[in-house]
Amino acid sequence: MPTVTIDGIKVEVEKNATILEAAQKAGVWIPTLCYHEAVSRSGACRLCMVELEGGDQKQLVTSCNYPVRHDLVVSTTSEQAVKARCGVMELLLARAPESEELKELAERMGVLQTSFPTVTESQRNCILCGLCIRVCEEVIGQSAIGFAGRGVDKAVAGPFRQPAEDCIGCGACAAICPVGTIRIRLHEEEQEIEISPFKSRNKLIVCEECGAMIISAQVSEQALRKIESIFAEFPHRLRLCPQCRKKQTAKKLEESKVFHKKVTVS
Amino acid sequence: MISTDAKFTSPNDIAAFARQLRNKSKAIPKVVRVCIGTGCAAKDSRKLYELFQEAARKSSRDVRVETKNVGCHGFCERGPIVVIDPGEIFYQQVEEPDVAEIFRETILGGRILERLLFEDPLTGKKATKAAEIPFYNVQKRVVLSANGLIDPTQITDYLAAGGYSALAKVISSMSPEQVIEQVEESHLRGRGGGGFPTGRKWRSCREASGNGKYIICNGDEGDPGAFMDRSIMEGNPHSVIEGMIIGAYAVGAEQGYIYVRNEYPLAVRHLTGAIAQTRKRGLLGKNILGSNFSFDIRINRGGGAFVCGESSALIASLEGKPGEPRAKYVHMVESGLHGKPTVLNNVETWTNVPKIINNGGKWFADIGTEKSKGTKVFSLVGKVVNTGLVEVPMGISLRRIVEEIGGGVKDDKKFKAVQTGGPSGGCIPAEHLDARVDFDELTKLGSMMGSGGMIVMDEDTCMVQVARYFTEFLQKESCGKCTPCREGLAQMLHILTRITKGEGQADDLDKLKALAELLEGTALCALGKTAANPILSTIRYFQAEYEAHIQQRRCPAKECKGLFRYKIDEEACKACGICLKNCPVDAIVGEKKVPHKIIQEKCTLCGTCWDKCPFSAVLKV
Amino acid sequence: MAEESQLIDEIVDRYEGEVGMLIPMMQDLQAEIGYLPVDHLRYMGKKLEVPMSHLYAVATFYSSFRLAPKGAHEVTLCLGTVCYLKGAGEISQAICREFQVAPGGTTPDRMFSYNPVNCVGACALAPVMVVDGKYHGQVTMESALEILHGLSLEEQTKEATTAE
Repeated sequence: MPTVTIDGIKVEVEKNATILEAAQKAGVWIPTLCYHEAVSRSGACRLCMVELEGGDQKQLVTSCNYPVRHDLVVSTTSEQAVKARCGVMELLLARAPESEELKELAERMGVLQTSFPTVTESQRNCILCGLCIRVCEEVIGQSAIGFAGRGVDKAVAGPFRQPAEDCIGCGACAAICPVGTIRIRLHEEEQEIEISPFKSRNKLIVCEECGAMIISAQVSEQALRKIESIFAEFPHRLRLCPQCRKKQTAKKLEESKVFHKKVTVS
Repeated sequence: MISTDAKFTSPNDIAAFARQLRNKSKAIPKVVRVCIGTGCAAKDSRKLYELFQEAARKSSRDVRVETKNVGCHGFCERGPIVVIDPGEIFYQQVEEPDVAEIFRETILGGRILERLLFEDPLTGKKATKAAEIPFYNVQKRVVLSANGLIDPTQITDYLAAGGYSALAKVISSMSPEQVIEQVEESHLRGRGGGGFPTGRKWRSCREASGNGKYIICNGDEGDPGAFMDRSIMEGNPHSVIEGMIIGAYAVGAEQGYIYVRNEYPLAVRHLTGAIAQTRKRGLLGKNILGSNFSFDIRINRGGGAFVCGESSALIASLEGKPGEPRAKYVHMVESGLHGKPTVLNNVETWTNVPKIINNGGKWFADIGTEKSKGTKVFSLVGKVVNTGLVEVPMGISLRRIVEEIGGGVKDDKKFKAVQTGGPSGGCIPAEHLDARVDFDELTKLGSMMGSGGMIVMDEDTCMVQVARYFTEFLQKESCGKCTPCREGLAQMLHILTRITKGEGQADDLDKLKALAELLEGTALCALGKTAANPILSTIRYFQAEYEAHIQQRRCPAKECKGLFRYKIDEEACKACGICLKNCPVDAIVGEKKVPHKIIQEKCTLCGTCWDKCPFSAVLKV
Repeated sequence: MAEESQLIDEIVDRYEGEVGMLIPMMQDLQAEIGYLPVDHLRYMGKKLEVPMSHLYAVATFYSSFRLAPKGAHEVTLCLGTVCYLKGAGEISQAICREFQVAPGGTTPDRMFSYNPVNCVGACALAPVMVVDGKYHGQVTMESALEILHGLSLEEQTKEATTAE
């Protein structure tokens, strides 16, 4: 197993682990945006740059996708590495000035403001990290959204920039979005879930007991297809909200013999 | 005797068939070669070809004339070009009415038509052959040697000229290891821009584990003003294919792809035809030349994205995806197309391979400089007298290219800079004109070899505008995947634009330099990493020009609108009234016989008066 | 639908269904129809088992692809400084209003594609409108609309009033 020396801390990692994984093991924090352990690496945001010291010359690399194949010496604190990460962050702040999540991360990195004006705005507050696209394709298996256009005009959208037809309303994109740009909106009246900004809408299942909105009908269907359950009531229980499900469980337990014995407290 | 369309089943068939073809061609005493490269074709050379064919057919004289479509001669400036053999008589700027006369006088009568010969603008000397023209005699044509001689649509022409003899040699007498050794000995470096040693690339791929290896030819020549690869693919497609087959043999690949820009329809057509002929002849497909080596090639067309010239983006495109580059921490020779070991070289690199095999690696290594061997093809364009395609030995000075081959700057203007390396290259000023053309030398000067674009600029070119133009180009072509390239280029363009509008700020140069450094260090691919070169090199050599824009709101080259004014030279003005009539905002006053004047307050600086004045009396000040 | 499937089947077969040949396939489709119609793309996606979002990403990444048909005519209006001073801005608005076309778009009847540009370098003719490569000088709101109303789907070039 190769050894990575990161800011002076030595850790052993599996061959082909990434520098970021080594850093996590060593307890060294490296800021990331387009990285998520649930999906493939992209190396798009360039925020996780570190400096490789091993070898004949120093080199800046992205830690999230640089594979460790032999012993490495890495610095996250070298002047070049810090300058690179802060520079990238300043560019991102200029692009998405309204994102609180981004500002928070910037502050943690010590970047309090950007020296750049906002000159690109193909999609408001989106940093085009692509996590939403990857989670939709690789984890959910829908590929409902994708990149549209290229360069400064790039955006994330459904096909033809229309409401994403293949969207099942699961909300994974909103959950994974690191800058809070993708939002879930519930439309009470129509009992629909909307994923903004993709304009896709999906019918929600309402709780058979109390009428509360629970989950998108398509997600429920997919869950039923994917999960094999020996529990006969599973499909029915999916149509209950968590509260009613709890109540029903309690009721059932009460009805069953288990609770017929009286418990006496002495 | 091998029948004319037979499949070759042994390496020996190649040489035998070539001999047969050469004997046959001796029987045809006269050959007319008409260039149908894109440059000449734009001036209707195809029509000339048809007319010559018709004339040959109708000729009552008992003389066999062969008319050939040939690829680009390189001297596009003087097209359409027609060469007549015997004698290699080089006619330039041939027009339709000339055909009958050429046929009668030169082909049948053996007399030379003086007026169609090239005349040296300095000495007034006429040149009968191409070799006598300075444009050609400084060049060393290895890659382009058969361009202009052979018909790219006929495999027999290529065979007669010794084509596929390198492949026959490889299959009959060389092991893959020996092929790689020859390429290593040649010190051939990639012609697409990076300059990576080709032999080392091949060796790594050969040694990489896994089967299903790929060979790729990068024909996605996207630099504005560059057409080296197009001319090779159009004019000599078999040389590319032969190089690829040899490469496949060396690394152990079974499938190859040629990725061509969709904007090059003629190249696609000629390559498609060449591949079909090659398959028929048993030079591609199963058991090539009767050996147990099999390899085939498919053509894939690009969709219009400059970034696809970058190897990992090209591969994404070959996989049917948007052309976004990816990290190359694991090299393509290990994991390239579809995750398989892949060798990718550009058109010109592949074309060099058969030459190296035939002449030996040492022969190639004897041409050029210590670290840059062989020749390099450049497309020489811009404000230069002779534009066209030139091939020179590595190590020649920029001055010889610009002044001797290019004939110097057009219209007696002063030379300002030569831009090499495409949009990510840099501008090299007059004081470095004696620099040698060499991978490392050009990089030291803040430019690069690139794929071979060479744009000459004169004193009227504003270097801030040049930087702005290339930055805008790259910003439009950035794939948008990584933050520094997408956002950084937009920021740099924003700053450059305001400088050219006279709104530059005191710290703009520092900001540009900081952004440039950020891009170089953090961008994902070579496009982003080198995107700041045009800015850095112009700041390096022409800082005073930037400062004039920023501090004095003045454009010294008088190109940036609003940063200079128009004035009428009273002595030169003939009071003809043309400027006055054409001024769209009535900003010019004057009467007959009285020199006109521009009322600066009204002038919108549109430049109409400057364009229209027949006496050049309107000045930019 | 039958027509679409036939054409796409033929194109896909041309490349033996190799997904890596998606871009040449789309080039071929565009060469046939002039642009990439949604229904054709949908069928192609199904056949190749490529999601629509992926096809759309490819179609919008590469500059040679068009997702809407081009108009029968190309209309360019110069919005350079001099033209703008002489009322090109108002003319542009009038064109958009009259023909329900957005800058860079095509009229609903596909009569023409409309592109306002920065400068065509013919300031002496300002305001300038270029129709199918032919320069119309000193246009007014009325004359511009008249020229455009005079376009027909059949003819490529129309008689025009150039300067003088």
